[in-house]
Amino acid sequence: MRKLLLAFIAAAAATVGFARGAAAYPQFQFSSGTNKCSQCHFSPAGTGLISSWGRSESGDTISMAGDGGFLHGAVTLPSWLALGADFRGAGTRTDDGGPEAPSGAIFPMQADIYARFAFNDAISLYLENGVRGETRPSDPSVGGRLSGVPDRFISREHYLMWRPSATGPYVRFGRFFAPYGLRFVEHIYFVRRFTGFNLYEETYTASGGYVADDWELHVSGFVPPPSGFPDMLQSVGARESGGVAYYEKRFAAGTSVAGALALQARVGVATELARYMGGAVGKLWIEPAKILFLGEADFIRQQVSDASYGQTQFVSYSGLSVFPVRGVMVSAAYERFQENMSVSTTARNAYDGQINLFPYAHCEVVFLGRYLQVGAANQPAATLMMLQLHYYL
Amino acid sequence: MHNPPMTCRRGLFLVVAAAAVMGCGGMKDDRPAKWSFIAPTIIEPSCATVNCHSAIGQRAGVDLHDRATGYQTLVGRNFAVPFNPDQSEVLFLMRAQGSERMPPDVPLPNADIDLIESWIMAGAMDN
Repeated sequence: MRKLLLAFIAAAAATVGFARGAAAYPQFQFSSGTNKCSQCHFSPAGTGLISSWGRSESGDTISMAGDGGFLHGAVTLPSWLALGADFRGAGTRTDDGGPEAPSGAIFPMQADIYARFAFNDAISLYLENGVRGETRPSDPSVGGRLSGVPDRFISREHYLMWRPSATGPYVRFGRFFAPYGLRFVEHIYFVRRFTGFNLYEETYTASGGYVADDWELHVSGFVPPPSGFPDMLQSVGARESGGVAYYEKRFAAGTSVAGALALQARVGVATELARYMGGAVGKLWIEPAKILFLGEADFIRQQVSDASYGQTQFVSYSGLSVFPVRGVMVSAAYERFQENMSVSTTARNAYDGQINLFPYAHCEVVFLGRYLQVGAANQPAATLMMLQLHYYL
Repeated sequence: MHNPPMTCRRGLFLVVAAAAVMGCGGMKDDRPAKWSFIAPTIIEPSCATVNCHSAIGQRAGVDLHDRATGYQTLVGRNFAVPFNPDQSEVLFLMRAQGSERMPPDVPLPNADIDLIESWIMAGAMDN
């Protein structure tokens, strides 16, 4: 009971910072010596607060130097308590060919605080709280409904979990994204942006599954936040209810060439639209070259009953990440989203280049460049350049 | 449980990679110029994002998070003027004609804007 009380006190105290998105770095699967996401995260499918193993990896394997422990190792928390935080700020330059382009912005991107309370070896409570970031600069002439920081408090993740061991079965209930896809931290990628996993689209989810050394299965059912919930518990996007299944099989983990192949399906039904989605995820790590290939492809069938019309969409990500020296990750990717596969001019193509630097444990610098081609060839291309600073506690 | 041969694994990965870069489609656009289609497939996923025109964002007082609210906003506030695309500000915004382009993160394909224009020309009904 005392732990539960402490949990809720911490949850209240945690609402002080800019929420962004609980996601992960799938690029570290295999490349960091770990073969499954849950080795470094408390979540059985990855994302969110990292475990003591993850903290150790972040200091010893991923960053150039430093101690990845909580508060840089200055404090050792009791085994029943794990805390963490993410803070991100960014500067962007965008050019879409419009009369006001190019334009720039400097903004707080994320301030999330995490707490995990273990009541015993199997049951834990996970809480995340933060404040929604503001990408576009404040301008009273285009101001919205929200004005101050208190109005932007949001808790995107909070769940109760039964997970008696690192491998084996688990069940969790609460608010979080059902496991699906590559689960990038970059929410602008089409495989998140257009699939129901965009920023703050977390649902209330019941999820169960099994994590083994060389495979894992996650099956989930989800509903949108009830309309009576306050803003800090609401989500955006289609208010779908449905189910998700994700199965991943890993091959030759720990060898010079390792990989994983996942099959996935998602059904989401809302008042205005039904969405049936299925696809695959592939990862291939070549240790001698320090290169990781990542791919995801999904077909989405949308059915709009009021319009008596259905359309098939396609979304994909194809990329590679190279780790030339410790603390440096260089990535390139091609993305495609075709809004209607019968109409070629509804396609969006993006070409991404990214450098992630981890100069010291807890610190990250990200350089991102994106070239976006939308629709027909005669439409002007859009570009995005971003510098992001990230610190995690 | 044994692993499949490495060639098989690479083949599986190539299948995923090939699917990831594919694309197709024709030029004919048979999508319905109806608000019941445009709202959930174009407007809401492109415009009703968290810090823009979602229910909890309502940037510039504009809420496009569902079909009914979006219609009330666009037509009720004359962003879309029935039968008159030349007076419909939503088209100017989407085409960046004299203003910042909307949406600012991923511009809409011209095919989508043309479909919205067709809906306006047909009377911008809540159909």
